[in-house]
Amino acid sequence: MEEKNLEKSSNHLIHPDPVLNPESSGDSKFTHEKFVFKPAKIEKITVESPKVKSFYLKANSLDLPLPGQFLMVWLPGAGEVPMSVSDAGGGSIRITVARTGSTTEQIHKLEEKGTLFVRGPFGSNFKLDANSYLLVGGGYGAAPLIYASKVLSRAGKKGVYAVGAEDSSELLFTHEARKHGLEVYVATENGSLGHRGLVTDIMNDFLRRFKFDSILTCGPERMMYKVLRQGLKLGIPVQVSLERYMKCGFGICGSCVLDPIGARVCIDGPVFDGKLLLKTDFGKWKRDPSGMRVRV
Amino acid sequence: MPKLTVKIGSLKFSNPTELASGILCNGALLRRTATEGGAGAVVTKSLTNERREGYPNPTIVGVRAGLINAIGLSNPGYAEFLRHELPLAREGKVCVMVSVAGSDVGEFLRISSAAEDSGADGVELNLSCPHVKKRGLEMGSDPELVHEVVKEVKGALKIPVHAKFGLTDRLTDAALKAEGAGADAIVAINTIKATAIDIHARKPVLSNIYGGLSGPAIHSIAVRCVYELYEILSIPLIGSGGVEDWQTAVEFLLAGARAVQIGSAVAIKELNVFNKVARGIERYLDTCGFKSVEEIVGCAHG
Ligand SMILES: Cc1cc2nc3c(=O)[nH]c(=O)nc-3n(C[C@H](O)[C@H](O)[C@H](O)COP(=O)(O)OP(=O)(O)OC[C@H]3O[C@@H](n4cnc5c(N)ncnc54)[C@H](O)[C@@H]3O)c2cc1C
Ligand SMILES: Cc1cc2nc3c(=O)[nH]c(=O)nc-3n(C[C@H](O)[C@H](O)[C@H](O)COP(=O)(O)O)c2cc1C
Ligand code: FES
Repeated sequence: MEEKNLEKSSNHLIHPDPVLNPESSGDSKFTHEKFVFKPAKIEKITVESPKVKSFYLKANSLDLPLPGQFLMVWLPGAGEVPMSVSDAGGGSIRITVARTGSTTEQIHKLEEKGTLFVRGPFGSNFKLDANSYLLVGGGYGAAPLIYASKVLSRAGKKGVYAVGAEDSSELLFTHEARKHGLEVYVATENGSLGHRGLVTDIMNDFLRRFKFDSILTCGPERMMYKVLRQGLKLGIPVQVSLERYMKCGFGICGSCVLDPIGARVCIDGPVFDGKLLLKTDFGKWKRDPSGMRVRV
Repeated sequence: MPKLTVKIGSLKFSNPTELASGILCNGALLRRTATEGGAGAVVTKSLTNERREGYPNPTIVGVRAGLINAIGLSNPGYAEFLRHELPLAREGKVCVMVSVAGSDVGEFLRISSAAEDSGADGVELNLSCPHVKKRGLEMGSDPELVHEVVKEVKGALKIPVHAKFGLTDRLTDAALKAEGAGADAIVAINTIKATAIDIHARKPVLSNIYGGLSGPAIHSIAVRCVYELYEILSIPLIGSGGVEDWQTAVEFLLAGARAVQIGSAVAIKELNVFNKVARGIERYLDTCGFKSVEEIVGCAHG
C-alpha cells in the first residue's frame, strides 16, 4: 500500500517547475510518527501451556494486522520484542508469548487491565489465495498459523494443521484449529500424544494422502528447513515465517538481514516465499545482536 | 546521469546521494542500497575494535519529525565486518566508505588501516556519536584531539579520510583542525542528543534514555552547519540531516555540500529514496539550466 502511495506522489515529480513541486508536502501520512509506541490495554489473558500465555490487547488505533504480520511489543523496564499476531478483529489483537528469557518472563507477570506498548503491524503476510492448505507449526510458531487458519476457514478453504512440541501440554491451538474446520495432526517428542517424534516425520504421510496447493510453516528453523525441502520436492509452494534478531522492526537498522541477497526479515519478511529462502543463508546462519554471524 | 556525478576529492560519487552510517548496515544491504536504491555511495556502520551488542531494545523510536536512536554502535568488531560484510558491500560498485568509531588514536588508526587493506574506498571518522561515552561527541568537541586523530590516520592511509562531526559549540574550530590535519572532506552533522518520554508509560522510551535525533527535525540545523563550514573551509562538505526528498537535498547543495547523506528517510520512503532524490536533483538542474551538480554547490553564498 505504501509503495502505491509513494508511486502516486512520484507523479508530482513530473511537474516542470521544481519550485512548485509539492512532492514533500503531499504524503504527510508517511512520517516517522508511525514508529511511536501506542498503549494497548490487556483485556484478557489465557494460559495456553505451561510456558505460553496469550494476551488480548485492546488496540483500536492500530491498523488491522494480517496473518503473518508482527508487532514490536515494549514493556517499560523489561524490554521490547517482536511478537506475531495470533488473532485479530473487533478492535482486539491477540499475541501469544512463550516464556524464553527476561523480557517475556516480565510480560508473563502482567495481569488483566495491565498495559503493553506496541507499534506495528509490521512485515509481510501469508498469501492465502490457494485452495487447500497444509499448516506446519512447531512451538510458538503456531501463533501466526492459527490466525491464518481463521482467515482460511472464513474463506471456506480446507486444510490440515500439523503441530509438534516436546510434550502434549505444549501443543498450541489444536482446539481452535478444529473449530476453524481444519484436520489436526500432532507429534510429541516424548510420545505423550500423537506421533512420537517430530512433526516433519509425519509430513510425508499426509502429503501422500491429501492434495495441498500451498504449505505455510512457522517454528524452529531446522524444522522449517525440512518442511521447505519436502514441500518443494513435491512441487508445492511453501511460505515460511522467519525469525531474526530485530532492533528496529521497520527496515532501517539492518540487523535482521539475510545474506547474501540482503532481504530484511522485518520488512521484506517475516513471511517469505520458500524458493527465495533457498538463495539465502536460511537454515544455516543467523546474526546475534552485534551483527555477528552465528550458526542456526 | 553524468551530470549528477560529483567529485569528493579523489573519489567519484555517481550521484550526490550517499547512504548515512548505521543505516541498513550489513554488507548485502549496502549492496542493495546501491544497486536497487540508487545511492551514489554508501557508508558502513561505525566499527570498533571489539564486538559490541549495543544497547537493549527499545533502541529506536519515532518522534514528531524524525527518529531518536540509541543503537549503541553495535557491530561484530571491525575484523569480522571487513572480512564478511565489506566484500558484499563492494559488489554494489559504488564508493564504500568504512565508518570508524575509535575511543583513542590507536583504535582509529588500526581500524582505518585494516579498512584500507580490505579494499575500502575511503574511511569516515565518526567523531560525533552522541550516545556512547568516550566515543564520538566527546572527541569531536576537542579540536586538539580531532587534529591528532585525523593527522595520524591521514599519515598512515592512501585512501581519502572524511571526518564526521556532530553539533557542538566547537564545530567550526574542530572542522578547521581536521582540514589542517589533512582531512579530505567533512560530513556534517551526526544526530543531536535527545530523549523521548512516553506520556502513557511515563518513562523514557529508549533503554539508554538518551539517543540521537535525526530526520526532518535536524535538517535546518544541519543546513546552518554546512553553510557556516562552507564559509571557512576549502575541502568538500557532505550534508547529513533530514534529507527526505530532492528539495532538502538541493538545499544542502546550495549551502555548500557536494553530496548529501540519507538515513532516517529510508524508514518511510524505502530504498528507492536515493533514486528519487537523485532524479529530482537532475530535474532541478535541467529546469533551472545548470549543467552539473558542481555548478550549484554553495550557490546560496553571496
Ligand atoms: C517476527 C518475529 C515473530 C515472533 N513471534 C513470536 C510469537 O508469536 N511468540 C513468541 O513467544 N515469540 C515470538 N518471537 C520470538 C520472540 O521475539 C523472542 O522469544 C523474544 O524476543 C525473547 O525475548 P526475551 O528477552 O524474553 O529472551 P532472551 O533471553 O533475550 O532471548 C531468547 C531468544 O529470543 C531471541 N530474541 C531476543 N530478543 C529478540 C529480538 N529483539 N528480536 C528477535 N529475537 C530476539 C534471542 O535471540 C534468543 O534466541 C518472534 C520473533 C520474531 C523475529
Ligand atoms: C538507526 C541509526 C543508526 C546510526 N548509526 C550511526 C553510526 O553508527 N555512525 C554514525 O556516524 N552515524 C550514525 N547515525 C547517524 C546517521 O548516519 C546520520 O548522520 C543522521 O541520522 C542524520 O541523517 P538523517 O536525518 O538522514 O537520518 C545513525 C542514525 C540512525 C537513525
Ligand atoms: S530489525 Fe531493523 S532492519 Fe529489520
